[in-house]
Parts: sequence; structure tokens; C-alpha cells
Amino acid sequence: MEIYIHAKRPPVIFRLLFIILLFNISLNATAQTDPQSIINSRLLGRVLDSVTKQPVPGAVVRIKGTTHSVTTDNKGAFSFVTGQKFPYIITVSFIGYENAQLTVNGSPVEVLLKESLNKLNDVVIVGYGTQNRKDVTGAIATVPKENLNQVSSSVDNLLRGSAPGVQVTQSSGQPGASASIRIRGGNSITGGNEPLYVIDGFPVYNDNANVSTGAGSGANINALSTINPTDIESIEILKDASSTAIYGSRGANGVVIITTKKGKKGTNNVAYQSYFGEQKIAHQIPLLNGSQWASLHNDILTAIGQPASFTADQITSLGQGTNWQQSAFRQAAVQNHELTFSGGDEKSRYAIAGNYFNQDGIVLNTNFKRYSVRVNYDRDISDKFKIGINTTTTYSNTQGAATNTGNTSLSSPNLITSIVTTSPAVAIKDQSGNYNLNNPYGSIPDNPILDIVAVTNKTNINRSLGNLYGEYTLLPGLKAKVSLGADLINTKQNYYAPANTANGYATLGLATVGAATVTTWLNENTLTYDKTIAKKHFLNVLVGYTTQYSSGEAETAGSKNFVSDATTYNSLQSGSQTLTPTSSAYSWALNSYLARINYSFAHKYNVTLSGRADGSSRFGTGNKWGYFPSAGVSWNASEEEFIKKVSAISNLKVRFSAGKTGNQEIGQYQSLATLSPINYDFNSALVTGFAANRLSNPNLKWEKTNQFDAGFDLGLLDNRINLVVDAYYKKTNDLLLSIPIPLSTGYSSSLQNIGSVENKGLEIGINTNNITGDGFTWKSSLVYSLNRNKVLSLGSRQTSFFPTIPGGTLGLLQPAIIKVGLPLGTFWGYQTAGIFQNATDIANFATLDTKANTKPGDRRYVDVNGDGRVTAADKVVLGNTQPKFIASFTNTFAYKHVDLLVFLQGSYGNKIYNALQQQLEITNLSTNAWADIADRWTPTNPSNSVPRATNSPVAQSSDRYIQDASYLRVKNVVLGYNFTNTLLNKINVKQVRIYVSAQNLATWTKYRGYDPEVNSFEQNNTAQGIDYGAYPNYRTFLLGLNVTL
Amino acid sequence: MKKILVLLILAGALYSCTKLDEKPSSFIVKEQFFKTQADAVAGVTAIYVSLIFDNGEQPMYGREINFLADMATDDLSAGPSAINPNVRALSSITYTSTDDRLQVLWRQFYTGISRANVAIDNIPAIQADTVVKNRLVRESKFLRALFYFDLVRFWGDVPLVLHDPTSTDLNTLKTNRSPAADVYKQIIADLKDATSLPPGYTGSNLGRATGGAAKTLLLKVYLTQKDWPNAIATAQQIINGPYGYGLFANYADIFNKATKNGKEHIFSAQFESNGGLGNTSTLMGAAFAGFGSNVPADIPADSSVYKQFSGNDTRRAVTFYQSLVNPATGVTKVFPSFYFGKYVDRSVLLTSAQSSINFPILRYADVLLMYAEALNEVQGPVADAYNSINQVRTRANTGTLVTGLSQSDFRDSLYAERRREFVQEAQRWFDLTRTGRLVQAVSKVGTKTNISTKNYLFPIPQSEINLNPALTQNTGY
Repeated sequence: MEIYIHAKRPPVIFRLLFIILLFNISLNATAQTDPQSIINSRLLGRVLDSVTKQPVPGAVVRIKGTTHSVTTDNKGAFSFVTGQKFPYIITVSFIGYENAQLTVNGSPVEVLLKESLNKLNDVVIVGYGTQNRKDVTGAIATVPKENLNQVSSSVDNLLRGSAPGVQVTQSSGQPGASASIRIRGGNSITGGNEPLYVIDGFPVYNDNANVSTGAGSGANINALSTINPTDIESIEILKDASSTAIYGSRGANGVVIITTKKGKKGTNNVAYQSYFGEQKIAHQIPLLNGSQWASLHNDILTAIGQPASFTADQITSLGQGTNWQQSAFRQAAVQNHELTFSGGDEKSRYAIAGNYFNQDGIVLNTNFKRYSVRVNYDRDISDKFKIGINTTTTYSNTQGAATNTGNTSLSSPNLITSIVTTSPAVAIKDQSGNYNLNNPYGSIPDNPILDIVAVTNKTNINRSLGNLYGEYTLLPGLKAKVSLGADLINTKQNYYAPANTANGYATLGLATVGAATVTTWLNENTLTYDKTIAKKHFLNVLVGYTTQYSSGEAETAGSKNFVSDATTYNSLQSGSQTLTPTSSAYSWALNSYLARINYSFAHKYNVTLSGRADGSSRFGTGNKWGYFPSAGVSWNASEEEFIKKVSAISNLKVRFSAGKTGNQEIGQYQSLATLSPINYDFNSALVTGFAANRLSNPNLKWEKTNQFDAGFDLGLLDNRINLVVDAYYKKTNDLLLSIPIPLSTGYSSSLQNIGSVENKGLEIGINTNNITGDGFTWKSSLVYSLNRNKVLSLGSRQTSFFPTIPGGTLGLLQPAIIKVGLPLGTFWGYQTAGIFQNATDIANFATLDTKANTKPGDRRYVDVNGDGRVTAADKVVLGNTQPKFIASFTNTFAYKHVDLLVFLQGSYGNKIYNALQQQLEITNLSTNAWADIADRWTPTNPSNSVPRATNSPVAQSSDRYIQDASYLRVKNVVLGYNFTNTLLNKINVKQVRIYVSAQNLATWTKYRGYDPEVNSFEQNNTAQGIDYGAYPNYRTFLLGLNVTL
Repeated sequence: MKKILVLLILAGALYSCTKLDEKPSSFIVKEQFFKTQADAVAGVTAIYVSLIFDNGEQPMYGREINFLADMATDDLSAGPSAINPNVRALSSITYTSTDDRLQVLWRQFYTGISRANVAIDNIPAIQADTVVKNRLVRESKFLRALFYFDLVRFWGDVPLVLHDPTSTDLNTLKTNRSPAADVYKQIIADLKDATSLPPGYTGSNLGRATGGAAKTLLLKVYLTQKDWPNAIATAQQIINGPYGYGLFANYADIFNKATKNGKEHIFSAQFESNGGLGNTSTLMGAAFAGFGSNVPADIPADSSVYKQFSGNDTRRAVTFYQSLVNPATGVTKVFPSFYFGKYVDRSVLLTSAQSSINFPILRYADVLLMYAEALNEVQGPVADAYNSINQVRTRANTGTLVTGLSQSDFRDSLYAERRREFVQEAQRWFDLTRTGRLVQAVSKVGTKTNISTKNYLFPIPQSEINLNPALTQNTGY
């Protein structure tokens, strides 16, 4: 039998609206005739940047009061042949510059354009179109160019500190690894919280599962790393409902609109950009040295009543012992090369770019390489018909740090933990120079350095993302646009662990391969209508219908027990035992109707109404369609006469918006009761059984976020000081929550729409031009974001639950809690109260274990409820991973040809669960320990923070490991030099720039792990802010060169 | 022309909506299932799977049940490799209602029960061979009875759920505690039906529940309820029945891969590493922690566990190991103390969680000892009672029991015999509680002095009470 779940009828009102608009189109079009050309004058000139004296290609030179214009060529030169007689007035305009106006009398002119301080005349890219910044009603931030010029393997890391309300948390320092992005906080507990990326019009949810086959090992590969960040021209971040509601069911987490570089009219540029750099770890974490470890080993043996194994002389002679970190980390090279051809003429624009990026990781044998090609092309076929294509194809190759599965007796979830936990009394290599596999303390013969260098863990991703469009002007102001796009991702993962590594030891060589294909199609059809009535009423209407369909397939195969390691993963048939092969498939579809009306009265009073109806396959029958309306208003107060009189105020705009957006990121088929295959053995032969994983929920529907935003834009002193302030309130209802249900039903949870979460916050962005002029300039930018997140309800049956935390020991400790009244990312556990110093302490204070089992030197916890015992009821809130505020401060200095950028970035008040330290403080006979353990309690060293040596003291979630991760860091420093124009002209080069740059140059933090920017569980919403041996972040020094011909 | 083309594309797009129906191609959906005999077989297989597999957790038989039935007694303690504080709390008898192991085991029982309920409710309507259908329903009832029997012994009154939920409305998902007597009534009814199962299987059905398994479990139920006459009658039916049960000559064969499902095994949880498929038991990691300096997660509670065995008791060398040969180096490693050996599969010492040794849930030695116990309670230490216990003792090379014991001395000897026979077989806690010796026995262990009468039942998992406040908590928690 097949299950058909019938969707509700598409919303009739949208269909009607669409059809009415279609048939309102008049079939007449006014023909235009070229004016007769009479040549009366000829003007030659050049347009240059007033500061850099670089040519400005593509600037529009127009005779004032006429429509007659020319554009400058790639040397900034123009030649104006016109019927006008000298003298006349020309205006010169170019995006990002103030308009220039001058009277010409026939002699060649040099026009110096000043960079615009007033961004109000800019065009802002919004969903499905553009808008004058002046008329915008929503909260839209444009990422500054300085941020885009940072070195990064993927775009998400460029957003850090770029705009108010955007929080970027790097998951690890592994090349190609992901970052988690929160725009105005996380709305969802179990659904996705990452923003929607719209890349040249193509909506992409950055789901790392899209590039995971199941055969890889270790950290996920970032799906966004397949997009070359140096191709990006601009990034806009849509934050409030007025701007995101047009993306409906995918708008609740904010939208990042990425526009790639396009060619410009009148130019033919060849640009080469490259940089080389070195990366290294900022610092190692403190561990016991050889002598200290041997002494600990002896103390543990004494504690369990066994004879010591090291003599005093042996302890001394061990000295520092082996520094495994030193051997595992390296200085790693990074390089990037990009060659771009771009330009255009009156009818076409093109940009063709090729990129090669190669980043070695700071851990041995880790690497990320990317080869990408981008082609963007637009062509005006006629005055009315325009076509274009944006396409990029990328091949990336990652050798990642593999998870260590071999050592199960104590949790060793990854390569970093296995490096730091290996005893310093063990040598890396034996006397003949081979890797030493004889670790007498470990459970299996194993060498973490060999594990790093010998294991193959590759992910190869091919991605083609492109869309092509045709746009037809049906009537003046009325345009129809049809676009077709595809996002094709093919991933292949290869894994091989030789028999002499921890992962291959038990299996005598383990090989797995996996392949995954994700194919997404998109069709978008929009009509836009622009109308200006009486030069006062500005109207822009958009309606559209889009459909997106995605399907994915993945499979894995593997075998083990290899005679030879020579064939690695390339010959599974050489392994004598096969692993169970797996395969899977899914698909989803989204049909949408969208509409937006922008109306502005004299650019003074602006209104935006927008809405989207989304039908998603992911939801239960009867709940497939969701409706997401929004409204925004803004008032350009500075256009009012009474404000114009205040000379200090050059711009003042007040904005309000409200609306509803949704979240559909719950994965596929969640509303159905699916069955899983599970195996049993009858007579030692495998048979497959099937059992339901969960109850079906035909009522499953969207998470809905209602958002209110109020803000103002203020420009002071001729816009030398620009201030953007926004306050917002978001409430997410109908949370898609996997809620626990009574276990006596046979099921543990059910995905339901229950509960709500709020986010409220304040965002401030200040841009100042401290010193302007033709000589020295100094600009500053301050970005400040404050978000307060709170769980308002988890349904009527519960007020809290412990989310599942992956990863061995940690998951058992339940360090995180989701609780009504508290923010997401709250840590939960015991408060420590020092160490039991003596029997009197044990008698006087509550103990966790029985008094008889508690000894002097054991850790003491606070008996919060005072019942004389320390039990789970004494666990309290220990802190939160969400910062009190985040901020960044950028200063850009320029003097003649030299420029300097200093980008400071920081986070305040956030906590990290340092699970790596905790793992290293579970002292035992086989693994190394955190350096603090050297100062452990003994009768003669009455430490009040480090307990006595015991064999595997029981681990608890406690405030000792919840550490302040506030930090301030010099994120980026760039010192650049632009070579002079005259010099370059001689060799026919337009621009040469060299620069040196340092990233993560200095960091001030109290955090004790490798780096405060860490997030071991990546996109997992409920396990944020945990450091469980994540690949450390690093410091980078770069030398770069940009040449434009 | 172009304009018309554009119009056509737009108009066409309006009516070319992608279908929003969900038709998963790599899953089976519940509504599609239980339509054929193969479905019925697979559905019942899933109930058996609950004995040995729980995604992301350790298996019920082979680990989770041992935390309660062995570690919360005087037999086992948590060793240094037991990193979970909740496991250590069970070991030190300081557990509370939030102990995660209680929740996990509770869930595992009810997951098994739910799968059985689904099978029992759906199989009769399938068009298939009636003989097969009846067998499958009875196997399901046997397994349901096993899970409820464990539940009712650990927790007392428990929710008695016999059908799969039909809605996700939270109010309909709650079930309150039923009196233990009602739970037992259901267990006995299910088991009586299951006694009609075949006496044995051959070939690919080996390992399924038999009529003998149902009778043995029924015997255990009667014994637990102190229903001695029924216990004696049932034991006699098993001993004299068509099942062919007997003791292995060699105690080690109970835990030998080569003699799986042999004459002593009445019902076992089937483990098979099978080239990486099947068994994910981590019991081995718990009993053996490699050739380095790690100490396993399960260690003897104190020296009395080892000392209860005499030097000639063949069970001692099976129950414990102190040295093992490292298959990689050929070197014998001698460990600083004795660790548990029954489930340590010597052939896969380097592959954790791949032991192929079955977990005996019901075996013939248990039948003999239960029979002796029931006889002794009714008739005193009669010849048949002596005969039964002596079969077990002789096999262990410990000689026959001294004759002429009083009823009470015979009882004590029998209890001691059970302890020696069933170390690490999830029997100890049940034996101590049904005979009222829990506090007296466990308090002898220095690290477990916290034991008190409240520990005769485990606390209902707090998470269940949070979701259904009408669930009452057991006394003392």
C-alpha cells in the first residue's frame, strides 16, 4: 500500500492575484526612436577616485537635464560626442560615490569622485529585487567591504563582527569546518537555526548533512565552503520580519543575501589576487609532563592499594617526557590564487573567475583544497529583453581529522583528545625510528601521531550552483522575470585506517567509502511593477510564484581485515569481511506564492507590505500551507522642514516593522511514523526486523516567529557620524519540539508544535568618518549586539528537559538543560565547594556518595536544598553559552598609498563547558592529565581545588568546567600599499596592491582551553558552547598581492 | 512573440506545482506494515531485538539489566571505567529517581512491550498461515510477559499498557500504575498461552521462545509469588516434558559460542558479532578493558564474591579471569585482581563490543534450583530437592550437599548455590528481594552500606512522573 498525504489546495487568493496581474498586461508597448544625431561638441575626460587617484570605470557621465550619457572605460576615460554646445554642465555618478557636477567648456576634464559618506542613495539588495536604501522600512545590514576582504575558507566566517545582530561561532579550526550563525538569536530548539543563504537569487539552507555520506569521520564538512568567498561582491543581511517575510517559511532565522561579482559596463579587467600565509596554533593546553605524570600514576596505584610502578629516579629521569601536542601541531601553509576577467559593453556584462585555495591544517595531515570557476553573464537582447546566467562550479577536497573509535575504555572522541590524553612517558618513535606502538598504559597498541598521519579521511565535493533568467519589460515599469536554477552537490568520502592505527587495529584495516548526491531545482516567476505618479508617489509591486524541489541519495560500503594496506579504500573486495552497506533517499518540495508592495510618498513616508504562502512537503496532512505576512513603515524625518533646520542632523529615519516568518528545517518525513530495520540473530544468522521509531503526527506544522522591530538611522555632521539602532522582539510559537512522552507508550518522544521561545535585543551600528580629506583619512565602525533569549514554554506537561549531548562521558553528565524561563544553551550541574580536607569536613558537610565512601581529598559539592545529601536536586544553573553582548570595532586608516585596517572583535559574558579539561581531570592509570592535577590534594598539600589522586573519579557536570569564554581579540590587521597610478600607467597596469595581514593576532580571554571560539557540536542547537577536543583555532600571517590589468 | 512565450511560461508555472505529498522511498511507514507474513515475522523479530539492541544505549540483557540486578547487589561494583555517575550511584546504592540507567531500562522494557503489543494486535488480521501466526503471537506474548515480569519485580505497580497509542495527544498517552497483582495476572495469562509454543526449533528458528521457555518463566513467576504448588507442578512439567533439557557437562559451555542454544539453554539473548553485524553489546568493555592499565567498568563488589568458590569449583575459572593472552603479541598479561569472565569472548579481545557469547536468560540449572527451592518450602529437603541441587553441584565439581540438613539450612545452601551459579546473570537482586535478604546481604559490602528497605523497589523514573504526575513514587524516594 502506498501512503498519499494530500496537500491542501494552494491558496486561491494568491493564484487570483497572479492571474489578474498577468491579464492586466497590455499587449501594446511604446516604441522608442533614436534621436537624430547632430554633432556639435566633443569632450574628453577621466574620472578618478579623489583619494586613491585610481580610475573609476563604469561611471556615468550625463549632460545635466538630458538623458544623454556615456560611461567611462576601464581607464576611467570617456569621450562625449554630443549635439550640445559648450559650455554645458555634466553630472558624473557612480555607485558608492557622491555625484559630481561641473561646467565644461571643451578642454579635457579630470573629474575627482569623492567616496560617498551618505549611503542613503545606495541601492540595497532585498529579497527578489532591490530597493533604495532611503525607502527601506526593514532592518537590513550590508556587510562592509573590509569584512569581505578577510581570508577565510568559507563565507560564514566573514560575517563575524560584520553587522549588528549577527553572531558567528566557529566550530573548530579544521580547514573547511563550519561556523554556526545566529541572526538575532536562536528561535528553535530542535529545528534548524542557521539563516537562509540566498546566493545570486538561489535559496540555500546550509545543511552540512548535504555533504555527508556517512562514510566520513570527524567534524562535518561545511557545505558553504564550496562557495568561493572571494567571488562575493556584496552581502546583505535581512534581519526583521519586514525584510525576511518574503522568504516566508525560511525567513525566521534571518536571510543572508550573497551577490557575486558581476562585470561592469565599459571595462575589460583582468585581475589577479593571491596570498600566501602561515598558520600556527596560538598556544598549547597545559598538561602534566613526564615526571609529573609518573608521580600521579604512583599516587593512583597507592590509592587503590597497589605498589608504585615508578621509582624516584625513574620519575626524575622522565623529565619533560613526550610532548604529543608539539608533535601533532605544525606551522601550516595557506595560499589562494584568483584570476578574474570581467567587464562589459553597452549590451553585455561578464565576469569569469577561477580560484585555487589550498589550506593546510595546523594538525598534521589535514588539508582543504578548493578549485572553483565562476561565470556570470548578462545580456540585453533588446531594450526590453534581458537574459543572464550566474553559475559556479567547485571541486573541493578535504583531508579531515578523523574520529578515534579505537579507544573505547575511556572516551576519546577525536584526534585532539587522543593526542592530549596519551601518556608523556611513552615515546613517539622507537629506537629504529618507527612509530612506537607499544603504549603499556593504553588499552590497545596505538600511537596518536601515527593515527593522524596514516588514516585517510577524505571528502571530495563537486558542487554546481547556477541559475539563468530572462527578464522582459512588458510595459514601462512592468517586468516579468523567469528564472531556473539548479544546485547539484556530489560528495564522495573515502576512509581508510591501516591495521597499525587505533581505528584499524581491531579490524585489521578498515575501509569505507560513501557517496551522496543532492539535487535541488528552483523555478521562480516574478512580476514587478514600478510606477511613479506625480513625482511623489513611488510604487513598487512584486508578485511571484516559485517552486523548489530537492532530492538526495546516499550510500556507503566498506570492508575490513586487509592483507595489505596498499590499496587503502580503493579495493573493498580486498578486505575479507564486508560491512553492512547502507543507502538512503529523500526528497522535499516547496511551492510558494509571494507578493510585496513598496510605497513611498516623496521618499518621506514609506510603507512595505509583503507576504508569502509556502506549501512544504515536510509537514503533516492538512498543515502543508503556511502564510507569512509582514508590514513595515519608515519616516525620513530629515526630509521634514523642521529637521532640515537642525544643521547637525543630516539624516534621520525612523522605522517600524512587524510580521510573521517560519521555520521548516526539521528534516524530511518527520510527520510520519517510519520504521527502522534492526537486526537479530537466530541460530547465529542475521535476520532483519522492523519497528516503528515514533508515532506519526499528521498535525505537524510550521514554527512561526512573530517579530517586531523599531529602529532609527541617524546621520550627524553631514553624515560623518552614522548611527543605526534597532530594538526587536521575536516570539517563536508552535515550536517544532521533540518532546518527551511517557516512556510507557513504547516511544520516547514525539515531534510536536508546542512551546515558545523569545528573543529580544538591541543592535547598534556606528560608522564615523573621523578624519576625511584628500590626505589622511580615518574611519571607524562599531558594531554592538545584545540578545536575550528565553524559553517561554515547553508545553503544558513539562518545564524542562535535558537535551541529548553526543560524545561519550559528556552525554551522561547532562550538562545542558532546556528550561522554561532560562535561555537556550544553559549549563546545569553542581556547584563545587572545594575539597573535603579531613574527616570532620566529611561528617559536617553533605556528600555525594555515602559518607563511608567519601575520603579526605574528594571534591565537595554544595547541598543547595540543604537536605543533608548532594543529589540531582542540588543541581543548579551554572551559566549560559549565550553572550551578554558581542561587539566589534574596526578602524581603517589611509594615508596616500598606505592603508591600515585594525579589526577588533569580542564577546562578553558567554560560558564554555570545557569538557576537554574535565576529561583530562578524570585521572586514571592510562591517560595524561591537565596540568592542575600536579597540584592535587595530599595530606601535606591541602589543595582546595584539585582532588586527591584516584583511579577514575566519578565525573559530574560542575562549575569547575563552566568557564568564562569572554574574549577580545585582534581578529584582523591588514597593512596595504597601493602603487601609484603614474608608475602603473607606464606598464599598462591599472592597480597593484600588496598587503600583509595577521588574523587572530592577539586574544585576551580567561578561557583555559585552546581557544574561546569553539563549538564541538557544530550545528547541534542544544549542544552549543561545548569544547570537547575541537580542532583548535589558529593564528595566521599573510602576504597578499592584487593586480588589475 | 517573446512576450507570449514569457506569458506561457508564467501561466504554465502556475499549474505545475510540485506535489507536496510525502512518499518516502527509503523508509517503511507504519501504516504500510503488518500486511504480510514476512511483515509479521519481521515485526516479531523486532521484539527480540529489544533484548540486545538499543540505538545509542547499551543493550537490555547483557548490560542495562545488570546495573540493577547485579551492580545494585553484593556481587558487582562499578569499576574505574564506569564513567557514568549514575552507574556509580547504583553501585553505591545512592541512586535516586533521576538516575538515567533506571530511565533507560524502563524505556527498553516498554519499547519491547510496545513492539509486542503491535504484533499481538496486528498479526491475527494478516492473511497468512494460521500456525505461523499463532506461533508469532505466542512468542510476542512470551516476550511481553518477560518484560512485564522484570518491570513488576524492579518497580512494583507499573503502567500496564497492552495496545499501541493511536494519537499523539499527551492526555491519551498517559497510563497510571496498575496494581502488581493485575500485572502478574497479565503475565501469567500471556505465559499460559505461550506454553503452547513448539517445544523446540531447528535451523533458522533456533533461539526463538519455546513452550519450555514459557513454562520456565512461569515457574519463576510462581516462585516469586511463593506459589509453591504451581511452581513444583510447572518444574516437573519442564523436567519431564518433551524439551530435552539437561545440564552441560562443562560449566564453561554455558558461555561458549560453539555450544549456543544447547540443551541447558532454555532462552537466551542472542549475541553474534558476525563480522561486525548484530551484537553491539558493550559487556566486554565492561568486563575487560584492554591490556593496558585500565580497570574494567564491572568489578567484584568485594573479595567475598571470589572467595565463595572453593578451589575445585569449576565455575570459578569461568566466572573470573586474572590473566589473558594478548592475541596480538602472544604475551600473557596478568591483571592485578580478578575480573568477571563469563562474557569475555577470548577470540575478539581486541574488538570491543563484539562478544558473540549469548546471555542466558533462562537455563536448566535455574529450573533445577527453583524446583529444589519450591520442594524445600513445601515438603522440606526431600530426596528430589537434594537430587536437583546435587545435579548442579556435581557439574561444578563441588560434590553433593551434606545430607540431613534442616529446611532452613537447606534453604541457605540453596541460596548460596544460586549466588555461585548465577554471578553476572541478572539473578542476584531478584533472588535477594524475593527472599527478603537484600539489606542483610548488601550491607556487608563496605561501599554499599547505604542499602535500606526502600531499595526493595527502584524509584519510578522521575521523567515519567514529570510527564504524568498521577504516577505515584515508591516509598522512600
